[in-house]
Amino acid sequence: MDALVAKYSRPAAEESDPFENELESHDLMNPADHLSLKFAMPPVAQPSSWLRAATDDRSNPECPIKIAHGTTTLAFRFQGGIIVATDSRATAGDWIASQTVKKVIEINSVLLGTMAGGAADCQYWLAWLGMQCRLHELRHKRRISVAAASKILANLVYSYKGMGLSMGTMCAGVTAEEGPALYYVDSDGTRLAGNLFCVGSGQTFAYGVLDAEYKYELSNEAALELGRRSILAAAHRDAYSGGYINLYHIEEKGWTRHGFSDTNPIFWKTKLEKGEFSNVTSELE
Amino acid sequence: MSAMFSQNPVMNGPNYSFSDAPRTNNGEFREHRFNPYSDNGGSTLAIAGADFCIMAGDTRHTSGYSINSRMAPKVFRIGGSNSDQSDATIALSVCGFAADGNALRDQLDTVCKIYRYRHGKPMSVHACAKRLSTILYNKRFFPYYTHAMLGGIDEEGKGAVYSYDPVGSYEREQCRAGGAAASLIMPFLDSNVNFKNQYVPGSGVGHELKERERHPLSRPVVETIVKDAFDGAVERHIEVGDNLQMMVITKDGIEEIMLPLKKD
Amino acid sequence: MFMARSEYDRGINTFSPEGRLFQVEYSLEAIKLGSTAIGVATSEGVILGVEKRVTSTLLETSSVEKIVEIDRHIGCAMSGLQADARSMVEHARVECQSHSFNYNEPLGVESTTQAICDLALRFGEGAEGEETIMSRPFGVALLIAGHDENGPQLFHAEPSGTFYRYDAKAIGSGSEGAQAELQNEYHKSLTLEDAETLVLKTLKQVMEEKLDHKNVQLASVTKDKGFRIYTDEEMAEVVERLPAN
Repeated sequence: MDALVAKYSRPAAEESDPFENELESHDLMNPADHLSLKFAMPPVAQPSSWLRAATDDRSNPECPIKIAHGTTTLAFRFQGGIIVATDSRATAGDWIASQTVKKVIEINSVLLGTMAGGAADCQYWLAWLGMQCRLHELRHKRRISVAAASKILANLVYSYKGMGLSMGTMCAGVTAEEGPALYYVDSDGTRLAGNLFCVGSGQTFAYGVLDAEYKYELSNEAALELGRRSILAAAHRDAYSGGYINLYHIEEKGWTRHGFSDTNPIFWKTKLEKGEFSNVTSELE
Repeated sequence: MSAMFSQNPVMNGPNYSFSDAPRTNNGEFREHRFNPYSDNGGSTLAIAGADFCIMAGDTRHTSGYSINSRMAPKVFRIGGSNSDQSDATIALSVCGFAADGNALRDQLDTVCKIYRYRHGKPMSVHACAKRLSTILYNKRFFPYYTHAMLGGIDEEGKGAVYSYDPVGSYEREQCRAGGAAASLIMPFLDSNVNFKNQYVPGSGVGHELKERERHPLSRPVVETIVKDAFDGAVERHIEVGDNLQMMVITKDGIEEIMLPLKKD
Repeated sequence: MFMARSEYDRGINTFSPEGRLFQVEYSLEAIKLGSTAIGVATSEGVILGVEKRVTSTLLETSSVEKIVEIDRHIGCAMSGLQADARSMVEHARVECQSHSFNYNEPLGVESTTQAICDLALRFGEGAEGEETIMSRPFGVALLIAGHDENGPQLFHAEPSGTFYRYDAKAIGSGSEGAQAELQNEYHKSLTLEDAETLVLKTLKQVMEEKLDHKNVQLASVTKDKGFRIYTDEEMAEVVERLPAN
């Protein structure tokens, strides 16, 4: 309270200079200062709890600012590299804010990140990570390893721990020294290496399909199909997932896109041609 | 300080000080929540065409059930070389909390102007879109309570619409509605702009059915859709009405159109 | 010329009564001690060339780095105190990356040069709130080559913070002779290959050692391939092409 009083009881004349606010003027004149990671803070003693009340729709359903949330994402390592697949639905509360979100973020031509949790957090920090990777490349004259890149991100989010960042992301890439490498990084600061991860509200449905069918020896085509099928399962059973299936395949030479395809026709194809989803009736009786 | 005022009854200055701050029944200080936001209602809409882009918004400004103003525009020209923005090529629409919206518009405009001085060229809509995202994210821990949209013409001459969440996640889209009546307008756009769930009759059975082909809409069609969308929103949402402000962005610049909406 | 310098060349932030900043002028002299670097801009791209002073047969020539990458579309050649260039190049790299992070587009060549020159006068005590970086002016000059929407460009940045755009420019110890040679030989219709030859031919004339593919280095900036340092094989090939005399 004292801090508030002190802040607002200064003579008005002192506040008249529009560039008096150091942070804002720095930001306008010199975007490079973003690298020093200065963010505007609300003038309260506990910014994080205020932020939670204002933006977190789970702890406060009445919150005025609804931040878009992302949902089912998966990635797995196999003999041919890494498959990354996501849905494309963004929800803000019950409202479907978008059906066309790109949840695979192209960090650079050889590294991919996925987006679950706060869309802005993932977009911003993975783009930031892309910049750090490029600077690493320029300084050290070789590509950054996936382990190092994911560690940079993990260290960054850890430094913001408790501030309310919300992200569950996977960093995937193939390098000569590591082979296919996959890391899970979340906003709590967790960083795990692994063969296979599913992240988001639809993760359990995706794991169900993926665990049943996954083998390291999968062919490229079978692996792509498995990624697609796992996302389809999640889009079908998880209300917060849906829209389009975004598929990527990563090899050492870089990643390739394998479509951004509507789930609806894929669902009907899967049902009618392969006989799956037989609990859904195709005729109205 | 308080003593100074209370000793002078003629001045009748404030006869309280912080020690007399309001208390609850338990004798504790009554504290107020830090509540920097209000919702000023209104709605915005943006549609991209083949070689143009329309940004629209109503001009009503409300708080709660009160109408504060019937002429408070939500769509702004950004990044012109002078103060009347006559040569601007990018438009920003903001709805939510109008004061945050104005602050955001001023900041983005300043950034665009500084960019012009530093790099000797106007900012492309593509660059401006990314910059707006980082401006919003810089307030990640004290967000602007706004739903922003940016419209312009891209480097290939196509209409471009970018939409944002309050903390800066963004996406380029064909069309987007924002604000109070977003949930009323968006389904209308899904149907009339993106032709969602429309199939070519007799083209097959089940998943063989062909989707109705999407094509970029012409300017008169888009203008009609915008007007219809707002007429519908005014009919069913209390916070939308008064005037429809439309900015039509083409390669020749920005043309502003004001149309009346119902005033009740 | 140096009669009046007396006490005024001690403080780096003190003008002499004639209005000169001696330490900044001396820093320009420091560059004339450096190895020669040449840049030639053509309509197809820009060629940068430097001489590596191989002072010992035991020196690993590949460790002499006088041409560096700033971003995919920009590179620079240096002459003078190598160590000073490190911080300028680092600054330019961060500036380029920060720009593409914030604006989703590469930073222009002129803006990059401007960013480097912004650093040049940040020595001494510094203004309030501004971080000072060095205690003295830089002792290095840069030739900045790049390609952006305005086509291929070559800039020369001095320690004084001024920069100019050139079609062809030489800096370093052999700069006077080299610049005269470039003046004679340069014309607007040079191809990239002509420019390679011109750079090496000019270097050859001003170098004390005999030019071979180990003691010079070339790099190019083109629209398609961006910045690229020539490999040993490519160097050997260009050196082979030089007219023997």
